[in-house]
Amino acid sequence: MNLLGLAQRNVRGNRFRSAVVFLCVLGLAGFFLSTTLIIRGAETSLRRGLDRLGADLLVVPSGAEAVVESALLMGQPTSVWMPGELVDRIKSLPGIAAVSPQLYLTSGDVLVVGFDPASDFTIQPWLRQESKSLGKGEVILGAGVNSTTGNFNIAGQSLVIKGRLDGTGGALDMAVFVNLDTAAEMRKVVPSDGTAPTPAGSYSAVLVKVKPGIDISKMALYMVQEIMGISPIQSPQMFAWFRDQMNGLLWGFITILSIIWVLAAVAIGLVFSMVTNERRRQIAVLRALGATRAFIFRSLLAEALILGTAAAIIGIVLAAAGVYLFSGQVSSTIGIPFLFPSLSSLASLLAVSLAMALVTVALAAFVPVFRVSRLEPAIAMRE
Amino acid sequence: MESVISLQKVSKEYHLDERTTVPAVHNLNLNIGKGDFVIVIGRSGSGKTTLLNLAAGLIRPTGGHVLIDGTDLWSLNDSSLSLLRNEKIGFTFQFPSLMPSLTSLENVVLPTMFGVGRAKNEAYDNAAKLLKTMGLGDRMNAYPRQLSAGQQKRVVIARALINRPQILLSDEPTSDLDERTEEEMMGLLKEIHDTGVTVLMVTHSLELVAHASRAYEMEAGLLREITNPADVCAAARNRRMV
Repeated sequence: MNLLGLAQRNVRGNRFRSAVVFLCVLGLAGFFLSTTLIIRGAETSLRRGLDRLGADLLVVPSGAEAVVESALLMGQPTSVWMPGELVDRIKSLPGIAAVSPQLYLTSGDVLVVGFDPASDFTIQPWLRQESKSLGKGEVILGAGVNSTTGNFNIAGQSLVIKGRLDGTGGALDMAVFVNLDTAAEMRKVVPSDGTAPTPAGSYSAVLVKVKPGIDISKMALYMVQEIMGISPIQSPQMFAWFRDQMNGLLWGFITILSIIWVLAAVAIGLVFSMVTNERRRQIAVLRALGATRAFIFRSLLAEALILGTAAAIIGIVLAAAGVYLFSGQVSSTIGIPFLFPSLSSLASLLAVSLAMALVTVALAAFVPVFRVSRLEPAIAMRE
Repeated sequence: MESVISLQKVSKEYHLDERTTVPAVHNLNLNIGKGDFVIVIGRSGSGKTTLLNLAAGLIRPTGGHVLIDGTDLWSLNDSSLSLLRNEKIGFTFQFPSLMPSLTSLENVVLPTMFGVGRAKNEAYDNAAKLLKTMGLGDRMNAYPRQLSAGQQKRVVIARALINRPQILLSDEPTSDLDERTEEEMMGLLKEIHDTGVTVLMVTHSLELVAHASRAYEMEAGLLREITNPADVCAAARNRRMV
């Protein structure tokens, strides 16, 4: 028998204490990991979404900023449009390097992104396979769109699948991408949400790249002054509404986490205080048998850490599995996109969660454990 | 004779609060030689257990010195004092003191954890031998709750002896035992004493002083030697008969 063996036997022997500490740590570690996963997942998804757009400016009809962002991030149905001639006017502005119009349509649950393969600089770079020449009647699928055959049926058309994009965790994973000719055919049928069909020759948004050295914010201001009825969204400010929502969520999570953390630490501290008081005689006996104060301290702390480790691991596994399995529901409930992090990122999050749980247990148990280990054995015996 | 346990002008006061101080042991001198079997009798609250705790270094005296084998206990740091207790002193307590989460065998092995240079297998072998000697060969894997009061006391004695101590301090070893088990227990302590272990035992039972090589009575923190233990024992027996 050694210190750890003794601690393990005591953990099994004190079932009430063990159960309370176990549940506190399990809840704490689980909540910490799940909230961190959700926030990190949302951040990753937003970042990927921005990378995917790859534009300095997203020009949308004035007043339609939130609608277009919702369409791009969450796949919300949209039927906003602006006249086609605006694209030429934007293109003619000095300092513009590239311009690519896009048309957003919805059919059922699927967001259809019509783009111009000739001018596109945002979608094709993300294709898994080389498929630069997307023709009429052809389609590129988002990472999450299911299709077992070589064709994809949508809005009464059977489109030939030419490629597939990497996942973002956002609505773009559930979107399909067609050229503007195909989109023109589809616009006669969609949208299915009862709004009027988008007029021919119109677009939902224009993606703009400015020339090197051009200040993006000055260019955005210049655009608004030169062209009426448009609203350029700068890349850093893109999805600002979602960022705000995420920030709100983050602060909410931090507040709840702080409360849970304090409550868990207090509960663990109280339970340890109670248990060490109950075990004062046992501790005094150990001291009489030759255990040092340091041994008592380490042994009791080892009990806390054994319990904490077991509970944290189970809490972390349950939380990770829960977030992984129910990410879709989580995303739709909180209204922000979500992308499960990579394995390396997940591993570091698991390590941080485990460390956080163990530090909490150690800190909560420290005071009662320290106090009882300093008691004079004969005093501890006189209960 | 060389003193194994020496209490020199030892006092102990308990401070209940800022104003109230209770003297438990007052200016006490006691020298116990190697191989002595000393019994201290006294009523509850007379200071017997405090005396035992002082001798084991489990409580710091308010005044005076406690020496074990010539070493002043309170000149040692915690780890040296703990090691001395572990190597030289065996302890049996008045209250149930076995670890409830450990088996009899593990309870007996427990003190070997705190010493230095003890082989694990040897410790388990010795513990098993001790338990067999105590008649508990078939109860080694039993938990304390599965043992009778007498069996628990014997496991406690086995635990006290596992490190082959020079001194056995025993606090009310026969409390809560029936007459027959009490006799068995005293026989066991006598056998241990016969192996050369110095025994200091405290009890409220006057009849037990017959087993002692020296006996003392403790009252209100003061110690008085009983010069005629046989008479005290006989008187106690007579009182019980009446």
